[in-house]
Amino acid sequence: MTFHPDILCPFCGLGCGDIGIDQDDSGIAPRPSGCPQADRLFRRSATVPTDARMGGTAVSMDDAVAEAARLLANSHAPLIAGLATDVDGVLSALTLAERIGATVDHERSDALFRNLAVLRRFGWSTTTLAELRNRSDLVLVVGPDPAAAFPRLWERWVVPEPAFMPDGARSVVFLGGEPMPETAQLLGGQIETVDPGAADLATLVAGLRTALAGRAATGDPMTGLAARLRAARYAVVVWAAGLFQGPQPDMVVEGLVRLIRTVDGTTRCAGLPLSGADNVIGANQASGWRTGFPLRTGFDGGVPTHDPERFDWRRRLQDADVTLWISAFRPEMPEFSTNGAVIMLAPPEMAMTPEPALFIPVGTPGIDHAGDVFRADSVVALHAGMLIDRGLPSVAGVIGRILAALNQTATVKETAGC
Amino acid sequence: MLTKLAGGRLFDPANGRHGEVADLWLRDDRVTADPGPGATPDVVYDVTGKVVMAGAIDIHSHIAGGKVNLARMLMGEEHDRHRFAGSACGCDRIGGGSGIATPSTHTTGARYIEMGFTAAFEPAMLGSNARHAHLEMSDIPYIDTGGYLVLGNDDFLLDLIATNAGQAAVNDYVAWMLTATQSLAVKVVNPGGINAFKFNARKLDLDEAGPHYGVTPRTVLTVLARAVYELGLPHPLHVHGCNLGIPGNVATTLDTIQAASGLPMHMTHIQFHSYDTAGDRKFSSGAAALAEAVNRTPTLSVDIGQVMFGQTVTASADTMAQRHTAPLAHPRKWLAMDIECEAGCGVVPFRYRDNSYVNALQWAIGLELFLLLDDPWRVFLTTDHPNGAPFTFYPELIQLLMDRDYRLAKLAELHPDAPAHTTLGSITREYTLAEIAIMTRAAPARILGLADRGHLAPGASADVTVYSDLPDRRAMFERPDLVFKSGRLVVRDGALVAMAQGCTHVVRPGFDDLIERRIARYFDERIGLPIKHFRIQDAEIRHGAGPQLHPCRRREVP
Ligand code: SF4
Repeated sequence: MTFHPDILCPFCGLGCGDIGIDQDDSGIAPRPSGCPQADRLFRRSATVPTDARMGGTAVSMDDAVAEAARLLANSHAPLIAGLATDVDGVLSALTLAERIGATVDHERSDALFRNLAVLRRFGWSTTTLAELRNRSDLVLVVGPDPAAAFPRLWERWVVPEPAFMPDGARSVVFLGGEPMPETAQLLGGQIETVDPGAADLATLVAGLRTALAGRAATGDPMTGLAARLRAARYAVVVWAAGLFQGPQPDMVVEGLVRLIRTVDGTTRCAGLPLSGADNVIGANQASGWRTGFPLRTGFDGGVPTHDPERFDWRRRLQDADVTLWISAFRPEMPEFSTNGAVIMLAPPEMAMTPEPALFIPVGTPGIDHAGDVFRADSVVALHAGMLIDRGLPSVAGVIGRILAALNQTATVKETAGC
Repeated sequence: MLTKLAGGRLFDPANGRHGEVADLWLRDDRVTADPGPGATPDVVYDVTGKVVMAGAIDIHSHIAGGKVNLARMLMGEEHDRHRFAGSACGCDRIGGGSGIATPSTHTTGARYIEMGFTAAFEPAMLGSNARHAHLEMSDIPYIDTGGYLVLGNDDFLLDLIATNAGQAAVNDYVAWMLTATQSLAVKVVNPGGINAFKFNARKLDLDEAGPHYGVTPRTVLTVLARAVYELGLPHPLHVHGCNLGIPGNVATTLDTIQAASGLPMHMTHIQFHSYDTAGDRKFSSGAAALAEAVNRTPTLSVDIGQVMFGQTVTASADTMAQRHTAPLAHPRKWLAMDIECEAGCGVVPFRYRDNSYVNALQWAIGLELFLLLDDPWRVFLTTDHPNGAPFTFYPELIQLLMDRDYRLAKLAELHPDAPAHTTLGSITREYTLAEIAIMTRAAPARILGLADRGHLAPGASADVTVYSDLPDRRAMFERPDLVFKSGRLVVRDGALVAMAQGCTHVVRPGFDDLIERRIARYFDERIGLPIKHFRIQDAEIRHGAGPQLHPCRRREVP
């Protein structure tokens, strides 16, 4: 039995770097981390089937790569999605997309685009996790408790006393959402809930902005909250847009950014938009630097084109004739229906019905191989190490081989141009 | 492989050559001595009458990292309008991309190498964002890169200073951070000001004690300049001073020079720090006074941060300054971030207009500085890309410096009140080719400590640019005839013909291990991350190739 201390967790985007992992002949298992995701996803068996499958039948890796190259080369409307992989995997997927004219998107990009839409048309004012931890005296949580998606958010970033506040005091106010029982237990007396009666989030945020402008009706419960924001030294507004229900979630986000700007005009206030599981932030960053555009970008004749509606993977799935689905972090699939062929790059534990045209097992970054992932606050990139060798290739490795196979068939055409 | 460039005029100021006709020999990735009459080169390029220089080096260009990528996101309209297909030439592929002011990675590499630049350095890398910056730099083909680590607003350093931990502790911390983040130099941005802004201070003067720590920007500046000097880093402290963009800030800039009190310092984008308050509009040029001070301070070097007209975006760690600029955003959107108890980032799109008095004067002030600073070894060609203009404006800027008639014609097109408030019209100086070679090659390599770059002596990296000596200097510098990166011909007649990869330059001054315990405790208690995850390993640099190390020589302040 070997013990690995301080292992980096690549899953939800909080970047916890303190996971303890026990390893023996049977595989790896995490010491209880207080996080249901880490406790489940770090548990991997040493022996797993490493064969690729074509139509359900085991084939060699060479044959699988050749078949993937054939399917992709002949595709007229290829989609590369899921995209749950480390930065290297994403970059190789982008290279492949450019090569074959595919569009790319991440399984969990919905939450990201709710925030990005506002960033791109209006801008934003935000902060990062360490600033939240050390500087905020008031945390305003808008919408459902983000801990549902970011399990250790409160424990790691809000329970410790803010070091740069004179008295170390901090309050946490929930607006339009209830703390989960675990959150209530952790934060106890620091928590307050503002409940101005049933209203959707957009209305709540608009109400708070009205109160900040000094135009709220007397007795409006928002007046008190507005005064608290104005009196705070460093207020942080936290939201997980992926959890927002109701129409026009990006309008809620825009309202929040405007609200933050108003408060930040006189005292300090910043937002913390959280969206980050399975390296969706890293995928978006890599797309940004490689293409100049966010995810939901395609390549037409090698020229990048961005379309946040048309290139949403759920929509593209309808008309894609070949889909390369990448899910390296967890053996789980979202609801999925397509008439085209599916090439699946996923951990061998993935159960999938119906069986895809082609299944190529890959390792998980931070478990089977090293890889870079971005944290949910979008600034910090972390290098997750390798824990166990199960003979599983990385996504970048597999796509690199597919690209090599594609280039072999295209060599004549390419060298002729030079 | 042995390559001969025959009959060119060599502009190689580091080796005292100012246009002499000579053959240049390259063996594999290095310049080599003339192998003598018996040798048969594998390839000969006849460059008779052409201008041969080392590859150009940009010492200050925001090309990679979080703020650049955010700027790309914010500049969606520009990226939509400027999209480029990849090219399949050569044995590798250069990818497509988009953007002018914030080009994507492959586009960045392509635009630089097409102009004969073989290196560009990211001057504002935050420690917490360093891994991201390195990932981007690894994805920029053709050019060498490196990052300057931003310090001076980090709570750890301010705490060291406030608690009188001593210069030795500061030095160890700086050395540890440089090593952990794989950086080449240290930059300070608005010393203490970004931190003060987090405590809601909206302005902080050079001698004003900041909130919480009670430390002045002057102290931060001198402590860091001394650390950089004593650690023996090749590049002096890279200073983005206080009060950027504020009328009257030339007084602060002159005080900052005083504050250095003899310690070497590089003052960056000084155009943005050269504003006086004369005239009806309370905005005038302070270039003459600043140039005079720089001219008589041999320990100083500067780059300009020239403004050129058109749409761009300003991206800076200076959140305090960017909040002042935000109301002028064009298009009207901007973003600001506080980052990891270290610094921040502000991104504000901006359009410089020649019919705006202020913008016209900014343009003129930059040129005045270039022309009034008399030592080309201490002044560098920058637009503070993309803050003053995209780096693709360099050929135009070179023409403005080399061609007085062109300059006067441009001056006449500006806002009518601008010429009266600048001495630009009366300056007759024209830069020579030799001076351009110093400013863009020899001097940048020297100020960064890159011993085998920026010159053409045997042993130098075979980064070579060949130009036709055209009277239209813009056309000349826009489109070199040949560009070699590490000995490989990658550009012919302005077009890419092959792929190459540059390397990442770093320094690694030693430190006393004791500091690591203190930093580790800080990371556990404050940053919430074990330091082992913060440290960037060599294998992470350039897909496992690792960095190129440059030596540091410890010194003592006399
Ligand atoms: S909270 Fe997130 S990063 Fe932390 S252990 Fe859980 S899944 Fe991993």
